[in-house]
Amino acid sequence: MAADLIKISGLAVGYGRSTILRDLNFSVELGDFLGVMGPNGTGKTTLLKTLLGLIKPQSGTIDRKALSGRLLFGYVPQRESLDMHYPLTAHEVALMGRFGRIGPFRRPGQPDIQMAHDCLRQTGMDRFADLPYRKLSGGQKQRVLIARALASEPEILLLDEPTNGMDMSSERAIMELLQTLQKEKQTTIVFVTHLLSTIERYAHRVALITSGGNLIIGEKKKILSAEMLAKAYITQ
Amino acid sequence: MTELLTVPFLRHIFLAGLFVSIGLAPMSVYVVLRRIVFSGAAVAEVASAAVALAVLFQLAPFPVALVLTIVTFLCLSRVADSRRLPPEALIGMLYSGGSAASVLLIAKAPRGEADILNILFGNILTVPTGLLWMLVGVFGFLLALQFLASKEFLISAYDPDMGRALGIRIGLWNMIFYAMVGLAVAVAIRAVGALLTFTLLVAPGASALCLTERLSRSFKIAIGISVTAAIAGVVLSYQYDLPTGSTIVALLVGIFVVCFGIERVRR
Repeated sequence: MAADLIKISGLAVGYGRSTILRDLNFSVELGDFLGVMGPNGTGKTTLLKTLLGLIKPQSGTIDRKALSGRLLFGYVPQRESLDMHYPLTAHEVALMGRFGRIGPFRRPGQPDIQMAHDCLRQTGMDRFADLPYRKLSGGQKQRVLIARALASEPEILLLDEPTNGMDMSSERAIMELLQTLQKEKQTTIVFVTHLLSTIERYAHRVALITSGGNLIIGEKKKILSAEMLAKAYITQ
Repeated sequence: MTELLTVPFLRHIFLAGLFVSIGLAPMSVYVVLRRIVFSGAAVAEVASAAVALAVLFQLAPFPVALVLTIVTFLCLSRVADSRRLPPEALIGMLYSGGSAASVLLIAKAPRGEADILNILFGNILTVPTGLLWMLVGVFGFLLALQFLASKEFLISAYDPDMGRALGIRIGLWNMIFYAMVGLAVAVAIRAVGALLTFTLLVAPGASALCLTERLSRSFKIAIGISVTAAIAGVVLSYQYDLPTGSTIVALLVGIFVVCFGIERVRR
């Protein structure tokens, strides 16, 4: 059995007085490839942000177990959430992944610049390094954001709707890239998607958020049964 | 033309324009990108109310305005960090509140309105030597801070969630950014007036962003535009006997129109 990287017990999450997710009990294991799905508005992104520590839970505990020191996250937000007015090259975006590893009042050095290049190469984007990020296609932007997350040398990679709005070939390319990272580098991956087909093809385990804000987690075969899906998607 | 550098009061105009334009230009890139362009105008109103308040209670106007300006920007940083309210909402309320408060306080102040406005909205034609040194110190410090903490200012403006995930204290860096703009605005208004300060806080950044696809380059272009307009504005106003601040503002707006036109053509 793999070691737990994140262990969640009795967690409730929400905004203000309203609770969106309740009574969550699950673990993210080392080397996991966990897909999070559920109907729109049930709190998939909220769950991801809670794992990252961006949202404080209303109750319960999150135990983040780093291999050494603080658990290092690589975060890939929904690419539409980034402001396209910023004149940044693909390399400048990827370099941001290094910022957490450089102390305050220090500028990125040559090793950081090289690491950002290496991560762009890993995601097949090195030849676009000097192009404006905002002029890239959706799939290319996503690859740059994955490169940025990898540049932080994370123990766990969290991705929010990584293939949203992409055609089938771009979607396959992104998901196969993640698959390779998981297989070859044993990177733990948690991704959120509303696409059942993506979960079905690529995830090893599935976390299904029901319309009532509960979470069912387990092996893909069990979670993607008609009974479970009906439970999650049919509003009570 | 050599009078500009040899006659003391002309030299002061020239240097004040130069220091303020260099100091505000890099900041203007982030002011535009963070969509807080009207914060300068709103804070000018708050500073005006602060001066009126200081005069009413016979306190030193500039320190009161300085403190209130920085505090106001710090309050704005809390809103920038909020998920519920866009910054424009508080900026609009500040503008209205500041304008009303200054009118009400000036009406009750023992000194005349013109006197108070002169204390607050300094005139580029009357910059004293002490204020010039203050400009050098304050803007030198702010430029160094922006250079050294460029990655923190970038991530806190561009992708705060990613920054937090990386362990960077985004709330703190937002506060530092807003305090920095507050300090710059308070000092610049005292030296060159509200209109020129507001324009220098917006136009160079907006123009530069029309011209480049590189953020690092946009800071340099903004400084270039700002300094060119300041020098040309002082020279033109001297030669043609025009108001200096308004000449620089008109040049900055003209440069922006050209840059915006270039951006539209390139599209």
